Amino acid sequence: MLLEKRAQTPVEQRSYSKYYLIFSGILFLGTMWSVWDEVRVRRPWKEYQTAYTSMVIEKLDSLRAATAGELDSALVLQLQDDLAKAQEGLNSEEYRAAVEEKTDLQKELDVATREWRFARSRSDAAYYEYKKSLAEGKESSSLREDLAKQDASIVEHAGEMEVLNTRIAGLDLVINKYKDVVDSLQAEQSKLMAPINAIDLKLERAHRAPVQIKQVMLNDFEFTPFSEIKARIDRCQTCHTGWSEPLMEEAPQPFKQHPLPELLAKHNPESFGCTPCHRGQGPALTAGFAHGDEDHYWETPLLRGVDTYATCNTCHSNELVLKSATPFTKAKQIVYESGCFGCHEIKGYTDVPRIGPPLNDLTAKTTPAWIFSWVKNPKDYNPHTRMPNFEFTDEDAEAITAYLVKIGNESEYRTMRPKGSFAGGSATAGKRLFESVGCQACHTLGENQVVRQTRGTSYDIAPELTRVGSKVSPDWLFDWLKNPRHYNPETRMPSLRLTDEEARHLVAFLSAQKDDRPANTGKLDLQNEERILRGDRLIREYGCSGCHAIKGMENEGKVSVALSDFGRKKYEQMDYGDTKELSRYGEEEYVKYEDGTVGVQHTWAGWVWGKLKNARQYRTDRIAQKMPLFAFSDEEVRLLRMFLLSMTRDVPLPAYQHAFDKRMQDIEEGRRLTLRYNCVQCHAVEDRGGYVVAQYEEPALGPPLLPESQGAKVQEAWLHSFLKAPSTIRPWLEIRMPTFSLTDAEISKVTKYFLGLSKQDLSIRDYAATPIEEQYLAPGRKLFEVYQCAKCHPTGNVRAGGEVSASDLAPNLSLAAGRLKPEWILDWLHDPSKLQPGTRMPAYFYEGKGPDESVFQGDAEQQIKALKTYVWSLGARQRSVVAQTR
Amino acid sequence: MKIAAVGIATMCLVGTLVAGDVTGKIAFDGQAPKPNRIRMNADPVCMKAHKDAVLSQEVVVNKNGTLKNVLVYVKDGLGGKTFPAAKNKLVFDQIGCVYEPHVLGIQTGQDLEVLNSDPTLHNVHSLSKANTSFNQAMPMKGMKLTKKFDKVENFKVKCEVHPWMSAYIGVFNHPFFAVTGDDGSFTLKGLPAGDYTVEAWHEKYGSQTAKVKVDASGKATADFKFMGK
Repeated sequence: MLLEKRAQTPVEQRSYSKYYLIFSGILFLGTMWSVWDEVRVRRPWKEYQTAYTSMVIEKLDSLRAATAGELDSALVLQLQDDLAKAQEGLNSEEYRAAVEEKTDLQKELDVATREWRFARSRSDAAYYEYKKSLAEGKESSSLREDLAKQDASIVEHAGEMEVLNTRIAGLDLVINKYKDVVDSLQAEQSKLMAPINAIDLKLERAHRAPVQIKQVMLNDFEFTPFSEIKARIDRCQTCHTGWSEPLMEEAPQPFKQHPLPELLAKHNPESFGCTPCHRGQGPALTAGFAHGDEDHYWETPLLRGVDTYATCNTCHSNELVLKSATPFTKAKQIVYESGCFGCHEIKGYTDVPRIGPPLNDLTAKTTPAWIFSWVKNPKDYNPHTRMPNFEFTDEDAEAITAYLVKIGNESEYRTMRPKGSFAGGSATAGKRLFESVGCQACHTLGENQVVRQTRGTSYDIAPELTRVGSKVSPDWLFDWLKNPRHYNPETRMPSLRLTDEEARHLVAFLSAQKDDRPANTGKLDLQNEERILRGDRLIREYGCSGCHAIKGMENEGKVSVALSDFGRKKYEQMDYGDTKELSRYGEEEYVKYEDGTVGVQHTWAGWVWGKLKNARQYRTDRIAQKMPLFAFSDEEVRLLRMFLLSMTRDVPLPAYQHAFDKRMQDIEEGRRLTLRYNCVQCHAVEDRGGYVVAQYEEPALGPPLLPESQGAKVQEAWLHSFLKAPSTIRPWLEIRMPTFSLTDAEISKVTKYFLGLSKQDLSIRDYAATPIEEQYLAPGRKLFEVYQCAKCHPTGNVRAGGEVSASDLAPNLSLAAGRLKPEWILDWLHDPSKLQPGTRMPAYFYEGKGPDESVFQGDAEQQIKALKTYVWSLGARQRSVVAQTR
Repeated sequence: MKIAAVGIATMCLVGTLVAGDVTGKIAFDGQAPKPNRIRMNADPVCMKAHKDAVLSQEVVVNKNGTLKNVLVYVKDGLGGKTFPAAKNKLVFDQIGCVYEPHVLGIQTGQDLEVLNSDPTLHNVHSLSKANTSFNQAMPMKGMKLTKKFDKVENFKVKCEVHPWMSAYIGVFNHPFFAVTGDDGSFTLKGLPAGDYTVEAWHEKYGSQTAKVKVDASGKATADFKFMGK
């Protein structure tokens, strides 16, 4: 109707004002909205920053009040009073007169100095004229007189200057009398007020803090998939304002201080940014997008908690140990020890030796029945074994047993001694030996779980021996104990240098450790050719040779997928089988329902969790799964998942990577070796390991920890011969350093590892030729007596079987010259606990002084040098003894 | 600053006005272990220092059936109050190859003088965790060291040269502690009125606590009883 009416109105007369009004109104509102959205809605960080500033100010205010309250108010007032009085002194007649007079004298001195300089120039000129006249052969007496006159003028002015200087010095005494008091009081006051002043400075900065985007830009951080250099922009600190503020330790997010300041000291977020470690979307300025929670298509969502350590691997993939990142170190150790690389190709684990024993000579070691039950379910015999459960059927287990028995029967291995050589030991003596020489460092037996618990892993590093009597043949055990490398040349079980008698005792004790549960093996038919063939096929299919050397399987590859880019796999690419879906990002990660079904989160993290908890989780009627069942603890699963998250091909440019120089390579090789031979089980190295020490009442009764200064401590040649054939250094230890039969190459790795940790280079030195400084010898001997070093340290041949005394408590010092580096002895005497925390050796020197002031006036440096010289001479004099004890 | 000063002054005033003593006895019941005789053969100097047999101080039951060397202290109830360190220094002596005293309580910031009265080598090795552990040699007779502790803790002190030597030091941030002597009694002096948890600690028998109320009358008692095993 309205439109019709309007259509009848001539075009020229139609009014558009209403439309203009409406549309301009919409435009106005739209503009207002866009301004509002831009300035407020999309910039929550502005509010964060304002809130943060007021929080900081509030905290600083209360801190200031508390600090002020702690001040000794009487002292402050006293100081103020004293200072005021001292400053009054600056107004006193004496002081002002002195200052005035000094100013005048200073002027006079300036004049006198100028005159003196002029006089010297005049004298130089006169001297030139006089010499010139001499050279011309017409000596002029007037010129000579002039020279003498000018010289006299120098002396005169110099005299004037001296007088003035003396008078000024006199006035300075007066002036300083007043000034020094003021200065020292002011210094005292500013020292007293320093904490307050520091807070005030922070407060002032907080009050002036601008509201702005804080951006870190890494121009050349990484490559795009097209190999072009890509910058990284990082604005996290715009909202996470308090990351470096200790006052914000307890504050809520996003204001909270970063929990690991020591880690940030090495990766400063101000230059390094946050996303290289935490991932997320750097340039985003709202939480949802920055963290990637709202933006599900962002490929690298934020890493929180333990998961964050995954990104350490992008730059540190070559390293097994990162000191400030314990979870990373632990995860790498679990992967190393669990043998994941047996089936999966994993970056950084390409040349790690297989973790299981060879299976070629099993019939000499154990019975077919035991092999069968072990193959069926290893956790049944030993719940803490690293061998996973393949859940084989009876038929499959029988087939595998048949194959292993077949190659066992073909084996050429024979025990070194005739059968029956093991007999005649005493189980009681064996038990004593087992508990003292060090078997328990690696092998658990019965109730004693101390080492296992201290180690804290769900698996043992060596077989538990609680039921070993039902497993191994005593003939084999005797042979094994005497020389483990006879049965298995690659074994890491060391020789404990047991005598035949000791080995027999141990065999008697261990053989008595029977499995008292009823055996439930039926009759096995192992001769069937078809069955043996089936076993052959199963062993190949399940990849047994990933962990075990098996005859006939030498050329088998890894049976499962490579994991080197697994961290980038999308959750859509994963198959969740019949599991029920749990809510994403929820608290629950894994639920076992009563009807036997299982719920996991259908995310990358959820899939991995389910898989590691139960490797056959996602099996369905149609999809078979071969990965065996591990028994990782929740903590281990979390660490392994973090490790898998680190499996990406992202590598930043070399400038951001940790330099993997020669020394780092040496250290890394050493770390691998110490893991391989399990040195860390007994010796704490680099703050990890030393688990066996928990068994002892005090640390000094267990194996010594190996401090990072170990390389600076012992001579390389000594270390070599010690590792080849360990000798007694600490006679009070019952536990023995075993003989690992390391090759020269392996020993050289250990040596370089220790040297690398103590930042030393390998150098060839003739320690025997270290000169003895005679002048230190006599004082050294005296101090050695006064300080009663021999109370604990024997210095010569020790009689065996003597009274147990303090002298059983410290190494024999006649070993020193052949074992220690001379510079290390100096460092050691300075502060023993610094080099070896928990050592029983006390410190003798404090604050640069030794207790006996009659030698070198008590000077610590000199006394230490004297003691070192004397100790060194002990070994030098008795070189033949050193050679014998080695 | 002024407010704080006034606050402290009032607190002190209130404290001195209504302060009380907590007294008590540490009874002992049951079978005490036969005290071990310490064999000092390892060091002739130590042997010579004693005519009679030296007995272990681990469990010492007094003639009146009480327990010696029990450290009694206020564990809880002082709130956030702070107390200045006592000015007097305490002496911790090594005499006859035995620590004297065997159990010692000290305030944070208070001086402890460690003394060697023996003409033989001793080392004082503190097994402290909160306070920095020290292990210092004292090879000469009459040698002294001064130590201060700044954290509250109870730790063992031992001598490596003479493995039988051990002592315990309790560090407190208040002056309300005592060690029982030959009569097994103790007094915690000058406690402000209030409700407290008092703890008694013994190196072998562990610790026990008791609730104590100090009121205007200024007297309160707390008795403990340790059982031999």
